[in-house]
Amino acid sequence: MEQPSHFLNQLETFILRLKRKRITGSFSVSLSTAEILRQYISTTKWSNAKHLIDNIKQMGKRLIETQPLEFCIGNIIRRVLFIIREEYLALRVEEEENPTIKLDSSRNNLLTYEEPMDDYSESFQGLKSSILDTMGEMIDELKGLYKSVAGQYKDHIHANEVIMTLGSSRTVEEFLKEAGKKRKFGVIVVETAPSLEGHQTALALSKCGIDTTLIPDSSIFAMMSRVNKVIIGTHAVMANGGLIAASGTHMLAVAAKYHSVPVMVCTGLYKLCPLYAYDQDTYNDFGSPAAYLKFKEAEFLEDVHSYNPNFDYIPPDLVSLFVTNSGGHNPSYIYRLLQEYYHPEDTFEEEKDD
Amino acid sequence: MNITPTSAVTATTTTTGASTPNTQENAAFAWEYIKKEQEAALAIPVIRVLIEVIRKSQAATIMGLQKDLEHATHNLKQCSFNTSISLNSVCELFIRFVTRTSFDFPNFDQCKITLIERGEQLSKKSANSRTKIAKLADRFIRDGVTILVHGFSRVVLSVLLNASAQGKRFSVIVTESRPDSSGYKLAERLQAAKIPVKLIMDGGVSRIIDKVDYVLCGAEAIVENGGIVNKIGTYQISIVAKAFKKPFYVAAESFKFTRSYPLNQSDIEFLKEEKDTFQACKSCSKCEHPESLTIDSPTLDYTPPSYITLLFTELGVLTPSAVSDELIKLYY
Repeated sequence: MEQPSHFLNQLETFILRLKRKRITGSFSVSLSTAEILRQYISTTKWSNAKHLIDNIKQMGKRLIETQPLEFCIGNIIRRVLFIIREEYLALRVEEEENPTIKLDSSRNNLLTYEEPMDDYSESFQGLKSSILDTMGEMIDELKGLYKSVAGQYKDHIHANEVIMTLGSSRTVEEFLKEAGKKRKFGVIVVETAPSLEGHQTALALSKCGIDTTLIPDSSIFAMMSRVNKVIIGTHAVMANGGLIAASGTHMLAVAAKYHSVPVMVCTGLYKLCPLYAYDQDTYNDFGSPAAYLKFKEAEFLEDVHSYNPNFDYIPPDLVSLFVTNSGGHNPSYIYRLLQEYYHPEDTFEEEKDD
Repeated sequence: MNITPTSAVTATTTTTGASTPNTQENAAFAWEYIKKEQEAALAIPVIRVLIEVIRKSQAATIMGLQKDLEHATHNLKQCSFNTSISLNSVCELFIRFVTRTSFDFPNFDQCKITLIERGEQLSKKSANSRTKIAKLADRFIRDGVTILVHGFSRVVLSVLLNASAQGKRFSVIVTESRPDSSGYKLAERLQAAKIPVKLIMDGGVSRIIDKVDYVLCGAEAIVENGGIVNKIGTYQISIVAKAFKKPFYVAAESFKFTRSYPLNQSDIEFLKEEKDTFQACKSCSKCEHPESLTIDSPTLDYTPPSYITLLFTELGVLTPSAVSDELIKLYY
């Protein structure tokens, strides 16, 4: 497949920027990945959907390798592949007027008759434009993410409530700021050692006139009895409804469960991954202990082992509700959303590399 | 494991046109096949038999065909060798499949041909389901895990053998699974594949559960709410697993999905006739007159969905709440 050298340059620059963490944060990474895929689809020549899917899968593998724990790269790629497959099938149905092809996701069904390996190799005229249109919709949805989540504050935040939050999530910040314009409530922000991201959140919220209290991680359990709700952001949502979130969130969730305090997760659906984590180490890496150990004391710390995990895995039974751009969902409903956004064929991308 | 029942069936069926002797022959054939091919999933011979019924059917309309099939499935279910409850669900599924196909093809002859063709594909799909499940469950078997297994499930066996064939190192703890002690069979097979195996009493699960990473079971049937019906003792183990926060995984093919919604243990009684329960306990009893004792020894129990973490089926890895969705798709 010919790829104009202009695009190749751009791709290489993008990959380099990702590797060097010039682009960080799930939102910016997702947006730039989506943009580069849209550019790829519109500028390069491809003859049929199969070629496009294969090329994007290859590109996708390279992109995922740059930041393996940044799941939204893989998610955006899978969504684009799903869009391509859907548009292809829609055009196919139109052309053939064949009632036996079912567009719904019952493709996996034991009883559906599979046409011998529909390999997406027919070419259609309007395929490119319809794919680009749908991709444009997806990018718009992504851009309007914070507004659509924040707009749901009315159902969840009431006057004189005490809300606890952790870390610095832009989605949660916008959510609380929007609510703060109309309602009066208090927020307790957890410091989130050792990154101390909670400080940023506390500052941002108090600038908007919200009554904010900053507490260290160790006081979570002690303060929990006075909290009405816990609202947190997350790094990724797993296929079973579990979360990969900032280190310290598991402690918060368990304390909330003990006090029967509902835990709500504000997130965009681009963070939903078709992967399963089963313990703390499946998708995790470690940061530097320099954040809390002083170099000056290094000679005394020779025999000290220190672990600074970046993420926590929170099992689905600790989460009460997901507030997303498509509305509020129960953790047990997450599997349904997976079927609406991703195709099972694309799920095993990671496995192929193992 | 190539199945060629067609030649055998034509040899055994007589030339009478009546469907009753035909289906009895078919049913007997199916049982012979099931006994012989220990490894094959139940669905395959059953589907083959039903396809033969369609082929041999003298009916000229869809209704007639469906009647023949219902008669055949009734006979199959009544057979004394029906020890598996998934037979019922496979039959129901096949009838559903016939009904759906008949909607797409109003012309009867065309329909019949398509049915046979698609039926073959269905049985082929079922034959592949174990491989697919083994692939899916593969991710969950990492080096160094200890898995607790209850009962003898061929799906679970194929999952474990598949993982071991890939060179993964894990150990398995198998329960005896009384009253039929099928745990011994499983342990033997695993040992033959050089997987470290430990056999424990059914009552020893709580003692060993903290050394276990997760529990893996098969299922005889998967019910509408995502719960499972399986060998007696499964429910108990799932409760222990939940108490110790250990995941409880179920590996089963999708043709075991049944449209029943048990609310408690007694609701599963209609699924299988419990006969000869006394037989099972007699051999181990140390009392002089075991016949005078009242023994209650059901062979199945129902595990509610809240105790199950994930189900591995060839339709994908499902949470218990996803099961009802899949059922709706199958039966809508």
